[in-house]
Amino acid sequence: MMKLRRLIIWGCLAGSIWARSETPPPFTADGFKVPQPGYQFEFPRDHGSHPGFKIEWWYLTGHLTRVQDPAMRFGFQATFFRQASPDGATDLFLSHMAIVNVATGEFLHQERLNRPGWDAGAAVGRLDVHNGPWSLAMADAAAETMRLRGGVRAEAQWDLELKPQKPLVIFGENGVSRKGDAPTAASYYLTYSRLAASGTLNWQGETVEVSGQAWMDHEISSSQLGEDQIGWDWISMQLDDGREIMVYQLRKRDGTSDPASSLTWVDPAGKPQRQPFTWKVQTTWTSPHNGAKYPAKVRVTTTDPTTGQTTNVVVEPLVADQELTGDLAGIPYWEGACRVIDGTGKVIGQAYMELTGYAKDLEL
Amino acid sequence: MKRLSILFLLLRRCGLRHWRYEPGSTALLLAIVALGVGVFVAIRLANEAAVASFTRFTETLTGQSDWLVQAPVGALPESVLPEIRAELGARPVHLVPVLQATGSPPAAPDETDRFGRPSYTILGVDLLGVSNLAQQLAAGRGYFGNSSQRGAEAASAETASFWTSFQSGPQVWLSPRWGDSLPQEIEVVLDERVLALPVAGWIPVAPDAPAVPPNLMVMDLPQLQHLTGREGQIDRIELVLESGPRPNERRQEIRQILERLSAEGTRWIVSSPESERSTANTMTRAFRLNLTVLSLIALLVGLYLIFQALDGAVVRRRGEIAVLRSLGVETGMIRTLWWLESATIGLAGGGLGIGLGWLGAQGAVRAVGQTVNALYFETTVQAAGLTVADVGLGLSLGVISGLFAGWWPARAASRTPPAQLLQRGLAPAKGSRVLRSVPLAVGMIAVGVALTFLPAWRFESGGRFPVAGYAAAFLWIFGGGVLSAWLLPHAARALGWWGRAGPAATLALSHLRRPSGRHRLAVAALHCAVGMTAGMAILVGSFDFTVKNWVQRSLQADLYLSSSGAQSANARNMIRAEAADDIVGHPAVVASSGLVAYPLTLRQQQTLLTGTDMATLRERSPLPWVDEPRDQAVFETATNEGLGLVSESFTERFEVGRGDRLEVPTPSGVKRITIAGVFADYGNERGALMLDRVHVNRWFDSENVTNLSLWLKPGMDAETVRADLLQQHPGLAVYPNAVLRAEVLRIFRQTFAITYALEVIGVGVAVMGLALTLTSVLLDRRDELTTLRAIGFKHREIARATAIEGATVAAAAVAGGTALSLALGWLLIYVVNKQSFGWTLGFAIPWAQLGALAVVVVLTGAGVSWGVGRWGADLPADREE
Repeated sequence: MMKLRRLIIWGCLAGSIWARSETPPPFTADGFKVPQPGYQFEFPRDHGSHPGFKIEWWYLTGHLTRVQDPAMRFGFQATFFRQASPDGATDLFLSHMAIVNVATGEFLHQERLNRPGWDAGAAVGRLDVHNGPWSLAMADAAAETMRLRGGVRAEAQWDLELKPQKPLVIFGENGVSRKGDAPTAASYYLTYSRLAASGTLNWQGETVEVSGQAWMDHEISSSQLGEDQIGWDWISMQLDDGREIMVYQLRKRDGTSDPASSLTWVDPAGKPQRQPFTWKVQTTWTSPHNGAKYPAKVRVTTTDPTTGQTTNVVVEPLVADQELTGDLAGIPYWEGACRVIDGTGKVIGQAYMELTGYAKDLEL
Repeated sequence: MKRLSILFLLLRRCGLRHWRYEPGSTALLLAIVALGVGVFVAIRLANEAAVASFTRFTETLTGQSDWLVQAPVGALPESVLPEIRAELGARPVHLVPVLQATGSPPAAPDETDRFGRPSYTILGVDLLGVSNLAQQLAAGRGYFGNSSQRGAEAASAETASFWTSFQSGPQVWLSPRWGDSLPQEIEVVLDERVLALPVAGWIPVAPDAPAVPPNLMVMDLPQLQHLTGREGQIDRIELVLESGPRPNERRQEIRQILERLSAEGTRWIVSSPESERSTANTMTRAFRLNLTVLSLIALLVGLYLIFQALDGAVVRRRGEIAVLRSLGVETGMIRTLWWLESATIGLAGGGLGIGLGWLGAQGAVRAVGQTVNALYFETTVQAAGLTVADVGLGLSLGVISGLFAGWWPARAASRTPPAQLLQRGLAPAKGSRVLRSVPLAVGMIAVGVALTFLPAWRFESGGRFPVAGYAAAFLWIFGGGVLSAWLLPHAARALGWWGRAGPAATLALSHLRRPSGRHRLAVAALHCAVGMTAGMAILVGSFDFTVKNWVQRSLQADLYLSSSGAQSANARNMIRAEAADDIVGHPAVVASSGLVAYPLTLRQQQTLLTGTDMATLRERSPLPWVDEPRDQAVFETATNEGLGLVSESFTERFEVGRGDRLEVPTPSGVKRITIAGVFADYGNERGALMLDRVHVNRWFDSENVTNLSLWLKPGMDAETVRADLLQQHPGLAVYPNAVLRAEVLRIFRQTFAITYALEVIGVGVAVMGLALTLTSVLLDRRDELTTLRAIGFKHREIARATAIEGATVAAAAVAGGTALSLALGWLLIYVVNKQSFGWTLGFAIPWAQLGALAVVVVLTGAGVSWGVGRWGADLPADREE
């Protein structure tokens, strides 16, 4: 069962792979829908669940500070996955929650797996997903305001209102984000790259008011990861100048980077633009939990679409140990709050970085 | 310090030396204490084990739950789950819905009509959802998917294995204590069907989780719901709070929310696992307390005997006491010395008793477990353990008994002046005045009579304990003992004519005309044992008589059917509606009556809500009435909605009677029921409320029945129809009338097996005590024995004289004990039993049994005494003790 759950996550996360395209067939061999170019998105309908597809997730990360004491800073992750059974007869719902207290270095995380029903589910036609006591729902469809209620056991709980600061980004060509060479490897990839977050956070029994910024992906697909890929690295950067960068690198078994790896800038108006990039690991961190060696400080070199100049940004974790040890899902990965530093050493933004496939026991 | 060392020196040189020189008497005395303590310890251990085995089966999956939500009667609809989750909001708490079924292995051909076969508990829980619990995470593996492949194919094999397992049909997981190897499938009687269920694997267990009971099976909730036809229903929700700060505050907050939603307990009842365990505890408290009191009989008998043995020792060692007093040893030290001696005997006897008790508990535990299983709830009791507390209690009981029984002899030893002590040929002490005071004895008996009018002690859970009744019994035993001893010289005088029969009888009766304190104690001890044993025989005889009559009156149908999977008091197996329809449609059946029973929590007490076919009941199987209905309205479906009958236990438990109104929660809301009549029912101590099944079925939205009674057409052979029904529905238990009657009686008698054993041990102790008494008496009479031998008495004659003496003591005890037994029988039936269980019994005296007991006790007394006399005949005059 453990490995199965690994696959769910692996399959889900692999869905974000960007690749070259061909005209896709309407269905996969096992009968699931394949994203089609020219699909007419309709909201709030398409914020909801898409049962004909095999894999779907709503993925939030963000940075919060205490309103009365900005030195008290937190990073959080809240993810809701839906995975259909091979015959499409039923779904499973998996969720991950994590939070880091930057001042103390404490990092808490929890996973939850449920069958669809009274304790887990995703509404069709509107954004309303829940898993146990955790939930994400569109509170006001016109204003696109969402409410996120998450937590890690009773040690931390957050109740946040999320308001988009920019229009929704639809990645890919003609509404379809290609995942690889296979004609069915594609997804619908929707992102709120900058959400204003405000609400309350209960940290170890003390409730405080918080505010900050968050990032949300909603991705729908029926694709799977290729066998030669052993993991991926993903970063979402929110820069102080109002722009965002989303970058991921797919790592192959032979140590090279998959050509489908990609970096996209989102300008202040919300328009995405792909740019070439290089990825260099500057320092590493070894997990005390399982001995896995993860990148720590990463330098990304790319072209700034505004200036056309090559630019270097360094992404550095705010706390070293932000590893989700995979107690339930069986797949350890690192996902944590980071700062973004420019070539002069100045902090120019905040980021969330995800690093998978580094743990020794990861098999595919 | 110096005083202490002198004390121990004297204890070693004077006290314990005597016990070493008399190994026989010492062994007998130790055995008496050991038996007394042992019986108490055995019952205590068995009781503890029976209650401890009230396993909250779910704990092995969820760990300790914080709250349980259960309907007051019947099932909870699944729709309450999203409602509760929504009301709890984002509060971090796991909700674990549970459906519980019971089953059993299919009956072998020779046990299709026997109750009490092994029983399985089948828990239906969401096996995916429970994987989120900390306890399951600690187990390290989940329920679904077990591919053994490795390498590149492993992941896809795991995926396939998971989904195949997750999406497969009904399958069960077994306890790791089930056996050494995992069967491919297992046959289970569920409701009236025999199902072959594939076995998916062992139940995953976290390293520090409670051991999984061997009879526990786990199924995925939807599968069990489907299998039992209970789609959309759950039996309870277990709430498990997630770890974090302020647990108590969060716990209380959640309880408040749950109770706010419960509509004052009519939708559901919120309880904690502790309170559930405590309910199990209190449910059986009366039964266990009754057993504990009975277990003290042997100790009580033992107390008389320790007292008597020490008293004898004081008399025999008065020379030594006198020497010590002459040497300047203070009276206080002599008293302490004797106390220490009796405490040492108590300690040694207590130590032996703990071992005996542990051994006895291994046997008693099954008997206690069987009763708890048949009357209260399912137990998985296998063996009784011994804790430090039990050891401490056993030793304390031994020492306290020693000190208590040794108090008077120690006082006597220290108070007697040296000059008197040194006299030879001193008459044997008559014993304490208390033991000779007839007015005191009569007074005690009178106080006992007054106590019988007091009500029972009521526990919060509804259980009752007849504390005044037991106090009366003890007063009667003690008072009766004194009166029986008082009988002894009168009996000896009355038997004066026998003296002419020969010198042995003359000699024996002459001793009894002036009985010593020890004679009186022996009578009192034996009187106590005989009285209690015969009293219990009267209770059991009356029970047997009453239940036989009740069974004959209540069981009028030709065949009785229930699920063969229902093997304990809390079994949930039913006969499904379609099977019931098929059965009653059998061509041989002329009439039928169904009964459906649901456990009901009413006024925070457990009872039963039953529905039956009232009209059929009136026509074919009239109830034995305690309070008959005033009119026929309760028997007609058209007029009986809102009317009900209750059992006698119910009236005792809820303090209600005919004409009173009850507010009864049902899945269709609270129903107001007026009690139309009260019937006798000896099958259920918790009481039952009986309504028309038509209404009950409508309220519970189910046509299933718990059992069926069938009347056959004239000329139809019950055995043939039974065989036919069993062939069509192999999961049924089908009892022909006579078999069910016998089975009901067997179960009743089984519940008394342990009490009989306790009584017999009491009699055994008392007979051993008689031997000890006579040994001690003969030791006192060494001079006399020498003289008797000198004037030509033969060994045989001395033995005969002692036998007559012993038999007369036993006869006096039997006479008094039989009188006591009649009083105790009355007390047990009309006070203790009525107050404990609410059952009215007819009074029936098993004369043959009482006669046999009297003969056995007198003959055993004579035989044991004869043996002691043979031994005593050789005692030298100057024998050192």
